[in-house]
Amino acid sequence: MNPTDYPELDETVYLDRLSNGLTVAVVPRTGFSKKLAYFVTDFGSIHLDFTLDGAEYHVPAGVAHFLEHKMFDLPGDRDVSAEFAALGAMVNAFTSYDLTAYYFSCTEHFDQCLRLLLEFVSTPYFTEESVQKEQGIIDQEIGMNLDAPDTVVFENLMEALYRTHKVRLPILGTSETIREITPEVLNACHRAFYTPGNMMLCVVGDVDPAAVARAALEILGPQPRPVGKKLPMEAEAMTAGQPLVTASLEVAMPMFSLAFKAQPLDSGDEAIRRELVADLAAEALFGESSALYLHLYEEGIIDSSFGGGFETIDGCAMLMCSGDSDEPEAVREAVIARAGELVREGIPEEAFLRLKRSALGRRIRSLDSFDATCFRICAYHFSKFDYFRFPELYRSIQAEELRCFLAQVVRAEAASLSIIYPVKKEEIL
Amino acid sequence: MMQTISLLPGVTLRCFRDSRFKQGCLSFQLVQPMSGAAAPRNALLPTVLLRGTRAHPDLRAITQRLDELYGASVSPLVRRVGDYQTTGLYCGFMDDRFALPGDRVLGPMIAFLQELLLDFPQENGGFLPAFVESEKKNLISTIESERNDKRIYAMNRMLKTMCREDSFGIPRLGEPAQVAAITPEDLLSHYSLSLTASPIQLFYVGPAQPQAVAELLMPLLSRLDRNAAPLAPQSAFRPCRGGYVSERLDVSQGKLCMGFTTPITCRDPRFPAMQVMNTVLGAGMTSKLFMNLREKLSLCYSIGSSYHSSKGIVVLSAGIDFDKEALTREESLRQLAACQAGDITDRELEAAKAAIVSSLRSTHDSPGSIEGYYATAALSGLDLSPQQYMAAVEAVTKDQVVAAASTLSLDTTYFLKGESQ
Repeated sequence: MNPTDYPELDETVYLDRLSNGLTVAVVPRTGFSKKLAYFVTDFGSIHLDFTLDGAEYHVPAGVAHFLEHKMFDLPGDRDVSAEFAALGAMVNAFTSYDLTAYYFSCTEHFDQCLRLLLEFVSTPYFTEESVQKEQGIIDQEIGMNLDAPDTVVFENLMEALYRTHKVRLPILGTSETIREITPEVLNACHRAFYTPGNMMLCVVGDVDPAAVARAALEILGPQPRPVGKKLPMEAEAMTAGQPLVTASLEVAMPMFSLAFKAQPLDSGDEAIRRELVADLAAEALFGESSALYLHLYEEGIIDSSFGGGFETIDGCAMLMCSGDSDEPEAVREAVIARAGELVREGIPEEAFLRLKRSALGRRIRSLDSFDATCFRICAYHFSKFDYFRFPELYRSIQAEELRCFLAQVVRAEAASLSIIYPVKKEEIL
Repeated sequence: MMQTISLLPGVTLRCFRDSRFKQGCLSFQLVQPMSGAAAPRNALLPTVLLRGTRAHPDLRAITQRLDELYGASVSPLVRRVGDYQTTGLYCGFMDDRFALPGDRVLGPMIAFLQELLLDFPQENGGFLPAFVESEKKNLISTIESERNDKRIYAMNRMLKTMCREDSFGIPRLGEPAQVAAITPEDLLSHYSLSLTASPIQLFYVGPAQPQAVAELLMPLLSRLDRNAAPLAPQSAFRPCRGGYVSERLDVSQGKLCMGFTTPITCRDPRFPAMQVMNTVLGAGMTSKLFMNLREKLSLCYSIGSSYHSSKGIVVLSAGIDFDKEALTREESLRQLAACQAGDITDRELEAAKAAIVSSLRSTHDSPGSIEGYYATAALSGLDLSPQQYMAAVEAVTKDQVVAAASTLSLDTTYFLKGESQ
């Protein structure tokens, strides 16, 4: 394991790519009790079409999340959660659009916990009976999401903004698609994407980096295995599929999500730089220190629930904002108008430097969070970027780049607005 | 590592000196008895203070100042701890060692906190009406938005019914109508009185010497005209007649909430045993409720229990299909009965203890959790450091858990169902 120091951040990272293809990163945290490990695969809900060993697969929506649930079953009726619990550790997992993460945190028995994590995520064990039972549990989770306005407003937005991209499908799939999931489907996905070459192990805590690499080699084996090849997705036009989508739910006041479709990012330094530029542009446009935020807040059009930023998902990128508002359309108009002004007038240098200082400070503060740090190292790794290099990227960014970004992205034809109205209001309309 | 300094009558500074972090935190809290009249004012106050000062007259100027302080944050801090409510501000800021050469963050941060707390603009003996009116609107919508998360909504509805004779039944943020009635003058006189008479708790986590923090705070404190009265001690739960309540909303999943009472609070020597009991029954993925109702019977997606230790209340909540209500109630009570009958395996007991100990051991791993633990413990009457608490949990026996379980009795059941049911 090779250490790299980042004196500006007071951090060191041990990084290596093992013979089996797994990337391992360890961020030592001397003097802390907590130890956190993330074992992440570059496989999420949008990866439904792939080839493996010459065969082509098209799997049902919701399979990545379903697989995440089923990984917790081990042969011999072993209960993974109980085994972690017996070690005083907490284990959990989540599935996003473009990755699936398994993680535990513990304060003792780290090596045992780590080996257990590596073991259960690399052991496929799916029976007809357990898959059927899981369909019932996930159906409940889908039902719960149908009542969760935050989820519905976002899923509707993705369906409106994109025409063909798989981000249009809910991460959980639907009651219908999960019925099509079988042990064979799960096995194919596991073989394709749960191989060391498609995964990353990241540990934050007071641990021995060499021991982490050793455990990964012992449990996963020294040999690389073939990785499934994701089929390319159809290129999306840079205009929104639908400008407006509405629904009604039991909410107290209307809530909205607004997004502008942007060119998807590639990978590497240039891509991450664009992401940081986009984040700063979002701050300049509608962050809390922007003229627009103040105006909308003082007019009562938005409240403190308002927020936004730049979101990237494999093959998608968007500038988005969301919150509660009685006048979501007015928010959209104001955002477009204000972006036009910024593009015409530019961003004053003093304001730009303040934004950079603030963004840098917030990122440094967030390094105290084990979870945020671990997650970001993994997510940026899949985009081929060393996360702890963010200070030098910030230094190289110029105000003019923010202006270019806003000119390219904030366009009426690239916007979708998703609104959830309270049930009663919809009836009156 | 913890040092407590009394700065003025009723003004306490607690410092947790620690140089491992990249950020520090400082909280300022006014402590009051929870009351129906004060709750909405206390909830509103910090949001109005964050709207502007004389030198930084609007939200934008405030945020720009925070941007200059390397993206520092100041947020409203409104807590309920047993019979008390606190109102104030929480500051999070980057550590001085990452600032540009010669630059400092902590000192300017405390100066800005003072400005926010004391140098607000006034009009006719009140806060600025524009600030108050718009924050009232926001607070009302926050209160109303609680119904967006149906699990929290159901829990609040259950607690409101169960605790109608106790301070715990008072909504933490007040009722919308009460918020609507607050005037700028009311709010300022409530605040002025609080600054004079309410105990003030300050909490700092970071690398600075406690004495240095105290000195930085003196300009703020020296402007207060203090005449503080001590608070009445925390009290046990005051029960009233329980029962069954159900409600209909347009939802696709039902929410079941069951409220239990126990005489064991965090001030009771049996508290660690009750905490273990709650974990065995319903906290986490190895609990009896999760393993049996979710994993074995597939009755629900979500299920768990939580222990409000400052009052002695245990709440069980589940997200279920509408037609599973009776079965879920029955099965939940069966799991509690199993605890009461001593049907707890060594593995369940050890897993519960290990989970509690592990979470306590990492209390010291972030400024926010350090502040949260000690600032809350000081008010709730929990007289244990995380280390003492861990040792007490390790020592809990199965018999003590059974005894704790046996003190629980069902008080109120609430069920949220769909319009068409």
